[in-house]
Parts: sequence; C-alpha cells; structure tokens
Amino acid sequence: MSLAYETIATLRRRILSKEIHPRDILKDLFTQIDAREKTLHAYTYLNRESALADAEKADLSLPLGGIPIALKDNLNALGDPCTCASKILEGYKAPYDATAVSLLRQAGSILLGRTNMDEFAMGSSTENSALGLTRNPWDSTRIPGGSSGGSAAAVAGRIALAALGSDTGGSIRQPAALCGCVGLKPTYGRISRYGLVAFASSLDQIGPLTRTVEDSALLLSVLAGHDPRDNTTDLRPPEKFLTQKNGSVQGLRVGLPKEYFLPGMDSETESAIRSAADWFKKNGATLVDVSLPHTPTAIAVYYILATAEASANLARFDGVRYGRRATDARDVLDLYHRTRSEGFGAEVKRRIILGTFVLSQGYADAYYRQAQKVRALLRQDFEKAFTQCDLLLTPTSPEPAFPLGERTQDPLKMYLADVFTISTNLAGNGAISLPCGFTKSNLPIGLQLIGPRFGEETILRAAHAFEQAHEFFQRLPPS
Amino acid sequence: MSAPQINISDVASLARLTLTPEETAKFSAQLTQILGHMETLSQIATGAVPEVTPPAQPALRQDIPTPSLSIEAALSNAPAQANDLILVPRILE
Repeated sequence: MSLAYETIATLRRRILSKEIHPRDILKDLFTQIDAREKTLHAYTYLNRESALADAEKADLSLPLGGIPIALKDNLNALGDPCTCASKILEGYKAPYDATAVSLLRQAGSILLGRTNMDEFAMGSSTENSALGLTRNPWDSTRIPGGSSGGSAAAVAGRIALAALGSDTGGSIRQPAALCGCVGLKPTYGRISRYGLVAFASSLDQIGPLTRTVEDSALLLSVLAGHDPRDNTTDLRPPEKFLTQKNGSVQGLRVGLPKEYFLPGMDSETESAIRSAADWFKKNGATLVDVSLPHTPTAIAVYYILATAEASANLARFDGVRYGRRATDARDVLDLYHRTRSEGFGAEVKRRIILGTFVLSQGYADAYYRQAQKVRALLRQDFEKAFTQCDLLLTPTSPEPAFPLGERTQDPLKMYLADVFTISTNLAGNGAISLPCGFTKSNLPIGLQLIGPRFGEETILRAAHAFEQAHEFFQRLPPS
Repeated sequence: MSAPQINISDVASLARLTLTPEETAKFSAQLTQILGHMETLSQIATGAVPEVTPPAQPALRQDIPTPSLSIEAALSNAPAQANDLILVPRILE
C-alpha cells in the first residue's frame, strides 16, 4: 500500500525500525499528488525539491523525524511564499518562521507545501481564494469547507499526512468535518500564533488536521506551549497528549446542548450525531442535557467582533513594506487606496467595511461593545455547562458539504454554516471534529467534542475511543 | 433599534478602500441584510455585564533586547527601497 495512506504514528514506527526512509514517504505522496492535485487543487505551493533534500538530512530520532507536513498558506515559513490566498501578498516571501513552523522543524518534520484557503481565512468554503477554489475529495462538485479547505482536502484526499490550519470561527473543524478527517482547535492560548497572519486576534488559533486522533495528539504535543513572542500563550509547562489510550469513556459525563439540535436540521447529520451519543451511553458515559442559551446570538457576535478585529489587523496591508504595490499612485493616500482596492477580494473588502462600520463613531456602543458583553454571556454559558459535564457533544456542521457556488452570492447564508463552531472560539475553549458517519450519497459527517478550557486531554481521549470503535476514519474517498 | 443605512462609500474611505459602483451597490444590499441579522443582539439585556477583555496575562517578559530580523531580512519584501529605507510616494512638496 502507498505510504501516503498511512498515519504519522505508523510511519514513525516504520521509520524507527528502518523499514522505510522519509524519501519513500515523499515519493508516494508525490505520486498521489500528481494523480489527484489537478482535481482537488488543495495546494498553493509545493516544496518538492527542498522536501526531498530535507528528507535526506532529517534527524529520524526526533518526534516527527522525517514526517512531511503541509501548512496553511497563512503561516510564515522562512523563504517560502505566504499568500493568504490573496493578490495583495503576491511575491511576498516569508523572512522568518512562525513559532509553530519552527517547532515542527525542531521536531524533525519536513515542510511539504502550502495549502489553499479562503482569502485571509475569511470564508467557510475555500471559494474565496484568489488562487482558485479547492474541491472536496469525496465529491468534486462540492466545497471542502473552509477556511482551511486546502488542508482538509489534502489530508482527506491522501495527498498530505497532516496539515496545519487556523481556526477563527470553525476554520479547522468545519472543513475537517466536511472532508472526513480530524480537526483540532486547541484552547485559546495553547499554541503560539507568532507568524500566523492575523485575522481576528482574540479568536485565532492554530491547530492540526490529521487522519486520526492519535496523530492530532502527536502534533499538539509538539506545538503546545508558552511563547514569549505571543503573550496570549499560557504559561503551563509543555504536555504530552494521549500517552494513555485505554479506549474507555466509562464514567464520562457527556453534555448535549439543546441549542445544537435544531428543528429542521439535516436529518442524516442529526441521526449520525444521535448514534454517536448513543455509543457513548452504551459504553458507560452518562448523557446530560445542558443548555447554552446565548447560542442563537453567536453568529451576530462573531461577525461583529471578528470583522472589527480584521479591519484593524488588515490595515497593515498598505503596499508600503511588502506584497503588492499599486503603480502610478499620486501620493501615499492614493497608494493605500489603490493597493488595497486592487489587492483584496470581495469577501475581505466586505468584512473590512463591516468591521470599520461597527467600530465607527455612533455605532461602536450598539454593535462592538454590545457584542463584547454578549460574548461574556456566551462564555458564562460554557462555564456553567462544564459544571454539569466533562465535554459537550454536538454536530460540527449543520449539514454535509454543499455544492460549489451555492452560497457565493449570499454571504449571510454562508456565515450561518459556522453556527456550531463559532461559540467555541468566542468562549476560548478547545474542540475537535472527527468523522462519525456518512450520508447515503457518501459524504462525511463530523462529530464535535468541546472541552473545558485546556481540556484537550479529555476530548482527545474520548475522540480516540470513539474513533477506534468505528471504521469511519479508515474509509477512503473515491480515487 | 432598526438596522441603520450604511453610507458604504464613507465607511470604505475610512478603511482606505475605493469601491466600484457595482461593489457599492452589491455591498450596500448585503451589509444591510447582515446588519439586520445583528439586530438580535440589541434585544439581549447586558446592562451590568462587563465587556470581555483580553485574558489577563502575567506573561510580560523582561525588557531585554534580543536579536530580531536583520535590516536585510526586514527589507527583503519592500516594493521599493534605497539606503536601508523603504521608498514611498512623496508626501510633501
């Protein structure tokens, strides 16, 4: 079997036993990429030559020694492009490594390439990329989810073993659910964002997209920890996750928030999630009905706060220091206007305008400050729920992957695709999405397990137990 | 509170964006719809609720100089440069 189909954990064992060499993994991955990338368009850039060179000199004794990993195209990696799928970063080459990238290198991994995304991570379908859309490996007429759609399609499509993504409102978990892989959004403060191009700094987190929960834990163990260059990172000492795997959920209290089971939701999704909850109950967990009463406000809160923060963060793209610069500008102000108007795509402009408006004089109290207060109430909802249970079980997405083009003209409908993931970012908790079933038309369905803040070990153990008791993670998309 | 009418061109100008007439028309309609959805927030009683503030961090590091990007690296992406400086269009006549 092609090594491209293996998990990181298996490949590491085989590398250590000298059965295979990292160059063999790359060879098989490149064969797969040559066969599938033309359809999927998961990558924006491939490091073919440097990856092969790095494979020859990789320190195989390190935790990720010789393991190729793909990066979402918003993480700086020294010498490589970092386009954020935007025309405004055309020609930019990263002059430094993001901390997460540096940690991957220090752990021995090989940078395979850069994955497609919605421009500046603004979107839920990867259709907002200036570099062309990405297709879902299970059905190429459908979206892969977003904004880390390239990462999810690459991992699920067996053209990457694992990839990093970023999650501001669901951008790791939703594409993982729609492509049938594992996506982890760690607790806010768990992983340094230094070198991640900022979208909404009070919400952004970096996390892994993998084939299995074990691989997710392996990457989290490498990436987690305090970084003096991101002072939102937590000071707790480094941890190794999922070192004990007993496969048991006995005694676990699993909360089912009633607001996540809506009348009219996709019936196949609901049925798969209810079956997953039943599995937990049959295996010794207790199901607890809980309420997160402010859930219906989450989309509004998020699209006020995230756009407000984005309007400030994206002010740096002005054509002066890096990236695209408009020609023939009359003066500096004209340079800003022309560069930004030519360089940003429609969704980015729409969000910058919305964010500027909700912060503008006369409206900031009604929108921005009110949203911050409701965010505090959302957070309290989670804190209260976690006094009654150890984790929350919900769908990741209200429906499976939708057809390409279906929502590109209706931004509000697109925003509603994030309804089950956004609250977790607003509260700052960690959450994982893993496959829990397939529709009749063979589209993956994702289960979301949300933990208390810094409760990754709990959700990883529960997710691993569920995963190993089912065969969903072993299914392959059509080739 | 009902959804306000945004003067899209004014807000775009604050954000240093110049929109085409087509973009102005399209964004006006879309943002009116989006702001309409956000009106749900005005119905939530938040009188005594404090705003969320960034997590308190005792993680301020010592103010000790450490190596950072070299001038060469920092200027490596500049669209125009001379004498270790970035060139921009003239701002004073």
